Amino acid sequence: MMLPRGLRRALRIFFATGIGLMMAAPLFYIVAGSLMSNEQLSIQPPQVIPDSLHFGNYSDAFSGLTQVIQLRSFMNSIIFTVGVVGLQWMLCVSGGLVVAKMRFRSRNLITALFAISLFIPVITTLIPTFIVVYEFGLINSYPGLILPIAAQTGFGTLLFRQYISQMPEELFDAARIDGANWWRILRTIVLPLARPATAAYVAISVLTAWNMYLWPLVAAEGGSLQVLTQTLAVIGTSGQGQITPQNVIFASVVIVTLPMLIVFLAVQPAFVRGLTGSGVE
Amino acid sequence: MSDPLSASIDAAVVPVARSRSGRRDGRAAALLIAPNLILFSVFIVVPVVGGLLLSFTTWNITNGWPKWVGLDNYRRMHDDPLVWESVKTTVKFILMGVVPTVFLALGLAMLINFKFRFIGAVRSLYLVPAAMSFAASAVVWRYLYLNGPGFGVINYVISKFGVTPPDWLASTDWSLLALDIITIWLTLPIATVLYLAALQRIPDSTIEAATLDGAGPLQRARHIIWPGVSYMTPLVAIIALLSFTNGSFDLVNILTKGGPLYATQTLIYYIYVNGFGYGLFGYAAALSVLQILLIGGILFSLRLVGRLVNR
Repeated sequence: MMLPRGLRRALRIFFATGIGLMMAAPLFYIVAGSLMSNEQLSIQPPQVIPDSLHFGNYSDAFSGLTQVIQLRSFMNSIIFTVGVVGLQWMLCVSGGLVVAKMRFRSRNLITALFAISLFIPVITTLIPTFIVVYEFGLINSYPGLILPIAAQTGFGTLLFRQYISQMPEELFDAARIDGANWWRILRTIVLPLARPATAAYVAISVLTAWNMYLWPLVAAEGGSLQVLTQTLAVIGTSGQGQITPQNVIFASVVIVTLPMLIVFLAVQPAFVRGLTGSGVE
Repeated sequence: MSDPLSASIDAAVVPVARSRSGRRDGRAAALLIAPNLILFSVFIVVPVVGGLLLSFTTWNITNGWPKWVGLDNYRRMHDDPLVWESVKTTVKFILMGVVPTVFLALGLAMLINFKFRFIGAVRSLYLVPAAMSFAASAVVWRYLYLNGPGFGVINYVISKFGVTPPDWLASTDWSLLALDIITIWLTLPIATVLYLAALQRIPDSTIEAATLDGAGPLQRARHIIWPGVSYMTPLVAIIALLSFTNGSFDLVNILTKGGPLYATQTLIYYIYVNGFGYGLFGYAAALSVLQILLIGGILFSLRLVGRLVNR
């Protein structure tokens, strides 16, 4: 029994789109809810389309009695993300070049070390890392927040290693014969050629840093260094929800998520390439 | 096949041939990789080794140097019923999450592995959860799971079928599954993309030839598609495993705090409670050793890493 080709195709498009909409539904729901009145949010059956658009929920999330998002936390998230990704990127590109193209004795050992580090759950090193940062006197400081995460260079170094090792050997030999040192090779050959790998790396690590919760939770206990995931955690924990109106909570989630959604949709091909090392569209 | 994770494991295991020019770059290499290795050592290697040492001590951070107590923490672990409870919860949480993630991801990847005008937009829908944090998802799903006053969307739909819906996050029977569902949703995008990449490497002509030879959809799935993508499964499983291990903390801490009645207290959360709740850093370090052994044990028993390399 075979359905006609055209019908099968139509069915496939229908199901692919329908299930895709279900995957994205929680996000649509939160956007819709962020624009509703609180009355509409509290009625049964649950509403999915706003009767009228209450954009005021967004300003309420930033100010007044209902304030959820401190501008300070927003800045902290940006500083944390930029700091981690910027620093880690420099470490990973140079490290990737070293283990991809340079010849020295312990190269395989170092590569293996980076690979093993990918399998160690963050929590298991959390307490010793906390102690190290504490002993340096860096708890509740930006360096204390940023450095231990920037130090997680395993994934990035291996990503760049993978990409750089595919660059032709002759390029490097020629540069060496012309008398270029490795620092110069890094700047003039590797960085320009590794741009696609950089895009993939930035896409993945910006997302990871912006969404990170556990380390900022213990490293910035004080509050002045709070990042946005902590803000969300507070309103996500029951109890607080009764103080802040639900529509303002929804608006806050959208405000926190939107930057990443924009970044993500803009760099999605790079993100996919970084994960798969291939050109899936 | 060349994703960075598995390719680098290949590389680490299989030594690279020495370059023909025979040059050595030892000193330059050391200088260039020094910043990376120094930070990596201080914040990754030292904590791993230090954690192991710490597990043989008792230490309250504000109070002098750690005191060596030998195997006390491990004895205590052995006698602590909550440890075994949380190990069981962790394994259940991982099994109930990773297995469906692998199968659903393959199914979704097959579903969207075709061409039409808007396929790019449709695939983007499947990737949307990847942009969300565990924390943001926790807030959203708390409302989706709502059981009163007034149903959330999920329980409203369930109640329409004439079934009494569960009070997801407040029920000892359902709360772990509730957290699994959220984590599956968050992990599916990456898993689906990986399978999609594998599917796209199977040439259309192979499938067409099989169809002409009379192979139905099920036979094609079994004899062409599954062998064609199975090499990707260990990688998908490992990434899912890490997502369910690391991510579980965020959801548990925000949504359930390990409750109700320890039903969602994974080992990771129990480590956190002991370390940062009770200040028992030595005991928490010993539990961390158990956590590493547990993950290592799962990886080893499924021979996941081995399969990744020996493909």
